[in-house]
Amino acid sequence: MASLTAPTADWEVVADTFYRKVQLYTALWDADFNLNDYFVRGAPYGGALALWKDESKPQPYKGHQSKPAIEMYSSSGRLIRKIPWDKGSIRGLGWSEDEKLLVVTQDGMVRCYYDLQGDFTQFSLGNGAEDFGVLDCRFWGSGFVALLGNQRFVAVSRYDEPRPRLLADPHLADAEIHSWTLIPPNYTLSRHVEVLVATGSTILVVDASDSQDQVLQQGPFSHITVSPNGKFVGLYTGEGKVWVISSDFQENHSEYDTGMGSNLPLDFAWCGNSSVVLVWEDEVHMVGPHGVALRYYYDSRVHLVPEIDGVRMITTESCEFLQKVPDVTESIFRIGSTSPASVLVDAIDQLEQKSPKADDNIQLIRPQLAEAVDACVKAAGQEFNVHWQKQLLKAASFGKSVLELYSSDEFVEMCEVLRVLNAVRYYEVGLPITYEQFLRLTPEKLIQRLLNRQHHQLALKISEYLRLATEKIYIHWACMKVRVSTDDDDTICRSIVTKLNGKHGISFEEIARTAYEEGRGRLATQLLNYEPRAGRQVPLLLNMEEDEIALDKAIESGDTDLVSYVLMNLKKKHPLANFFRIINNRPVASSLIESSAREQDRELLKDMYYQDDRRADGAFVILRESLEQENFSAKLEKIKLSTKVLGDLKEHALEAKAMEEAAKLLQIQEVYEKDLPTKFIGLSVNETILDLIRLGYNSRAAKIKSEFKVPEKRFWWLKLRGLVAKRDWGEIEEWSKTKKSPIGWEPFFNECLAARNSKVAALFIPKCTHLPPADRMDMWIRCGMLVKAGEEAVKVKDINALEALRARSKVQSETLELDRMMNQLKPK
Amino acid sequence: MAPHVGIGVDTAQIKEKALGDLLGILEGVRGKKTLILDQSLSGPIGLFAKFSVLQDYGVDKIHWLRDPPADYTQKNIIFLARCTPRNAQLISGQVKHYAKVPGHDFDYSAFFVPRRTLVCEKILEEEGVVGDITIGEYPLYFIPLEPDLLSLELEQSFQELYLHKDYSSVFYAAKALMDMQQKYGLFPRILGKGNCARKLVDALIRMRGEVTVDDSLNPFALTPSSTIENLIIIDREIDFVTPLLTQLTYEGLIDEICGIKNSKVELDASIVGNPQQNVNAGSSSTSATSPTSQPGNKRTVILDSSDKLYEDLRDTNFAIVGNLLNKVSRRLQADYEGRHQAKTVTEIKQFVSKLGGLQAEHQSLRIHTGLAEEIMNHTRSDLFNKSLEVQQNLAACGDPSSQHESIEELIYRGANIEQVLRLLCIESCVGNGLRPKDLEFFKREILQAYGYHHILTFDGLEKLNLLQSRNAVQIAPNAITSYSSLRKLLRLIVDEVNEHDPDDISYVYSGYAPLSVRLIQCIIQKQYLQMSAKGGKAPGAGTGAEASSGYLIGAGSTGWKGSEEALRHVKGKTIDEIQRGEDKAVRARMILNGQNEQKMAVVFFLGGCTYTEIAALRFIGKQQEGRRKILIATTSIINGNKMIQAALST
Repeated sequence: MASLTAPTADWEVVADTFYRKVQLYTALWDADFNLNDYFVRGAPYGGALALWKDESKPQPYKGHQSKPAIEMYSSSGRLIRKIPWDKGSIRGLGWSEDEKLLVVTQDGMVRCYYDLQGDFTQFSLGNGAEDFGVLDCRFWGSGFVALLGNQRFVAVSRYDEPRPRLLADPHLADAEIHSWTLIPPNYTLSRHVEVLVATGSTILVVDASDSQDQVLQQGPFSHITVSPNGKFVGLYTGEGKVWVISSDFQENHSEYDTGMGSNLPLDFAWCGNSSVVLVWEDEVHMVGPHGVALRYYYDSRVHLVPEIDGVRMITTESCEFLQKVPDVTESIFRIGSTSPASVLVDAIDQLEQKSPKADDNIQLIRPQLAEAVDACVKAAGQEFNVHWQKQLLKAASFGKSVLELYSSDEFVEMCEVLRVLNAVRYYEVGLPITYEQFLRLTPEKLIQRLLNRQHHQLALKISEYLRLATEKIYIHWACMKVRVSTDDDDTICRSIVTKLNGKHGISFEEIARTAYEEGRGRLATQLLNYEPRAGRQVPLLLNMEEDEIALDKAIESGDTDLVSYVLMNLKKKHPLANFFRIINNRPVASSLIESSAREQDRELLKDMYYQDDRRADGAFVILRESLEQENFSAKLEKIKLSTKVLGDLKEHALEAKAMEEAAKLLQIQEVYEKDLPTKFIGLSVNETILDLIRLGYNSRAAKIKSEFKVPEKRFWWLKLRGLVAKRDWGEIEEWSKTKKSPIGWEPFFNECLAARNSKVAALFIPKCTHLPPADRMDMWIRCGMLVKAGEEAVKVKDINALEALRARSKVQSETLELDRMMNQLKPK
Repeated sequence: MAPHVGIGVDTAQIKEKALGDLLGILEGVRGKKTLILDQSLSGPIGLFAKFSVLQDYGVDKIHWLRDPPADYTQKNIIFLARCTPRNAQLISGQVKHYAKVPGHDFDYSAFFVPRRTLVCEKILEEEGVVGDITIGEYPLYFIPLEPDLLSLELEQSFQELYLHKDYSSVFYAAKALMDMQQKYGLFPRILGKGNCARKLVDALIRMRGEVTVDDSLNPFALTPSSTIENLIIIDREIDFVTPLLTQLTYEGLIDEICGIKNSKVELDASIVGNPQQNVNAGSSSTSATSPTSQPGNKRTVILDSSDKLYEDLRDTNFAIVGNLLNKVSRRLQADYEGRHQAKTVTEIKQFVSKLGGLQAEHQSLRIHTGLAEEIMNHTRSDLFNKSLEVQQNLAACGDPSSQHESIEELIYRGANIEQVLRLLCIESCVGNGLRPKDLEFFKREILQAYGYHHILTFDGLEKLNLLQSRNAVQIAPNAITSYSSLRKLLRLIVDEVNEHDPDDISYVYSGYAPLSVRLIQCIIQKQYLQMSAKGGKAPGAGTGAEASSGYLIGAGSTGWKGSEEALRHVKGKTIDEIQRGEDKAVRARMILNGQNEQKMAVVFFLGGCTYTEIAALRFIGKQQEGRRKILIATTSIINGNKMIQAALST
């Protein structure tokens, strides 16, 4: 307890607000390590630091020159990895929220190192970056903006599928850009990134669609920085003034004169959302609200790493965290505080000294005890010092033991989180994350950071402790094992499988992919067999040239897209015959090929049918082509070709014959088209006959009839319809007298009636002798001939029907006639 | 249909999500944009997104993807298309077109529906445009047509499944159902019939396993649902006859005669009146995503339950629609007359407040009277009646050859080829193929009557197993659906049909009960079915006994039990899978959601269903009101004509 310092020891007051500077780690580097020579960029949420030697600074000659490298350190100064760098001048170095290191070179190449181990993906900025060169970059949580030599900005908003996009042209061709920064998309109104550019005396806001001048006069601004919540902008004018303004440039917040004149600061960043920090070599000013400042002096150059709730200050000797003292902490520890929570903390002191005052304290704050407990729990989260964490939790525990009803969930949760935070803050791990940052980062991402640092054991322990999924850890471990281990394939496979056996949700595909990338194909195959999701195996199998297995797995997955994808790849790779052999005994695959070929590649379809000896199907493809063919002779040619193929097939005799007929019909139609002023090609046999009759070419119709062996019955129908369409009633009457109709006379009646010629229609009613009188009666009625209908009724002596007819009758003569008939029938 | 409150799947939520996702996509692209849309998506999207909403989100203009590249005025271009290779090629074509035109510096995004596929990406890559396009996906699966009806709106699914043997729609159906499971819990029991249904269930089971791998953290997601009772999958292939028959409900007939697409029907303005005078909210709302106004005097009418009159009419047999319309018209008359009774100011006020509703109702009455008359014109026609008579005789299995003369006559009279082929297909399906001699005869007749290119049509129909020679049909258990055996077993033919106050689902075809729905009854209305099969006439909606028997609860239900004999006569595999979860999780879920008295049965039609089947299921739902809700889901809505058109060569 002797070395214990008061929690307020590192507090300082700015106007009425307290700030504290917590020392996180000491002795980061050897004393002769000159941080002044480096660019230092830190990942958010207490993440890693990337160091890159500033080439513009003169270097002391040290004998052999070490190769240039980007060095990654933890906040406690432990080297994580050195990435050798020989790609030329670096114009942008920054981190993403998930601790990917982005390196942007002068010629627009971007490398994204995603795992702290030197593995990277790479893409190019394009948009003229190669020609104009990249001048500078600014980063946010999930993307960055680069300034090109032609004064244009290129934004990249995601790294998994980067799409560099040119922002609107601010038209600054000649104007100088004094400084610039960006507002991340999640803090802008438009939800897209906005760039603030200081030029002349004003600031332009540039986004994807346009560029707006904010019309300020106070410039030029040599530095510009945006607060973590995107609400405020800090500006540094050439004359050494700091000016804080809201990010919509409407509200002035504070002004401060640094007194440094034209000596420009090296670094200018926000500390939380309440103050800005300026760095000149070894002097640091922190400008709080109301333009009041704190000054710190160091022995060497200070680098800033802004966080959401403060700022990390890195020097060779130490890593410190500067933040506004959280309200809850302030209310407890501020000298002279009388808040219930501070009384409760005092009670613990008393209790430890076995003083009865402890109880007095409790009684004093009895009404606000629950609130006090809550405050203690919260304040514990804000402490870096384990002793004070414990003290606060003890106070909370003591307080809640007095309370009758209190949910301990938050207390328990805080204990758990603090254990985790303390574990990762340990210097060997070196993640100085605050409680706020932890909540924002989420436990899952913290685990990922531990994995990237190869702390598998710790990650596993924490995951289990926080009841999180552990699969990823095992997978990561297995991947590392595959990469690093020098054992033979079987041993590795066995050790991985035994370790991972029985664990839910393990993706062996990922492990197998790693193995494959390491050049251990056999191991990859072995591992892949354990992958439960068939679909996942496919792309890797394709890479490994295990084509047929890939196809089988794709089919097994039931995902037709995957099958088609494999087939696309195979078709490109294999000779056609071989390709057909592969899909031949896989019906799912061949029907997919068939249906895509039907739409896009007829020739392939024909080849396929030929290969499969599906000759009829092949013939049908040709027939289909003939239908689409406009040119007459080509059309005919195709039909003949298809007929020939079909002709050899016994089971398709009917079709072959029909095709012959089709060709014959076409030829006849062509002749008729030349002779007659009407179109025939494309009509069917029946339609041709119908049209010929309609137009009065009866002999030609008869010729078609005999040519195509049209049955008598059908011909009668067609002739009837044709004549009705021609409205040649005389011909119909004549024709009906000559022969006995093979289709009966009803159709004559119906067709004529449908053509609204009831007079002709009526002619056929008496001919329908086979119909019952009731039907005939109905037919008469439909022709409007009630008397005739009456006669039918008389024949069957249906007096009721007669009455009904009479009721319908509206013509006097008819009524009289019907009356007469009724009388005739009435029993006398 | 009354909205489903609290029980099982909430279809309104699905609609909201679909709209939300779409707007999210639009919001993701800064500024004004041109939307280039796959035309086949316009109908489905129009069901939940109005054009004005899209405009609010910065859509300046909509173009069709198939149209040649136009002069786009906005810098941002969003493609929204189904994930077909053809669409991917069209997109790359457009992008490449503009790459050549100087001064066109567009920002492209492409969103594939319902997901971005490897094939599409590969095509974009091969065409060299992948770097110019931001690729995303728009997971649009189920689209609620009604609160009790979900459709994937995959128009091609019938053709793909049974003609081309392309099982993409099985995969999409599985995805959609899996989404449902992730939200509402596993279907405690999956029942079904048919070979493609088997594939669907296999896919579902596989996906369940994969989801466990992907999402092992959520212990809750994959326990059996406590609100959904089971999933019943009906493979269209097991019952081709039902859709081949002419539907005789109001909605069914509208579909047969005018064709309903995405709950909309396009009608001649002369039938339904002028849109200008039309104030009906349901029908005058502009179709959301049509870029150009409707040409000439065609009018689009939305047919859904927002039109109360339509809701009452849609599922009734058409025979009584005229009567119902008369009744409504008389009531409206009386309501209007009410104004004369209004004496005091308050009374007049009351009347005026009702007036808006009355006018809307009047509007809808006018539309439906016009529509009913139009349909009447068809149903009165000789051709319609003749083919209906043939259909009913074939279904009732009189001697099929006695119908040949009528079919012949239809051909001679130049009836629609679809109509003729439907009859032949019914004969083939009911009678296990046509006699070779008959088939050859009809083939010859049709080729000469409708053109020789129908050789291809016959080839297609044969591959679909719709029209076959008797020699080609294998008779073995589960290889074909034997209507002759089932007719008796499941009482498919009901002679006395009461269209006015129906007591059995057979009213939808005036005497034929859809086999598909009978099979569903085998599961959810066992006793009713048994009684009606034995006694001929079932006692009313007589399912009272079932309620107390308690088999409704969870996986304890008896599934197919008792219908084994019938199932043997139906084509394809029988499915009965019980999905269990960890006991603890199941119990937790039960406690959370309470032990519901009322449960939901989800019926999924793979390959499409008809409006009559929907009507029949709603009828059953009404009989079981309070005990069970039925949610109908399908790949698309089909009818006999669409089935024939799948094979039709034009």
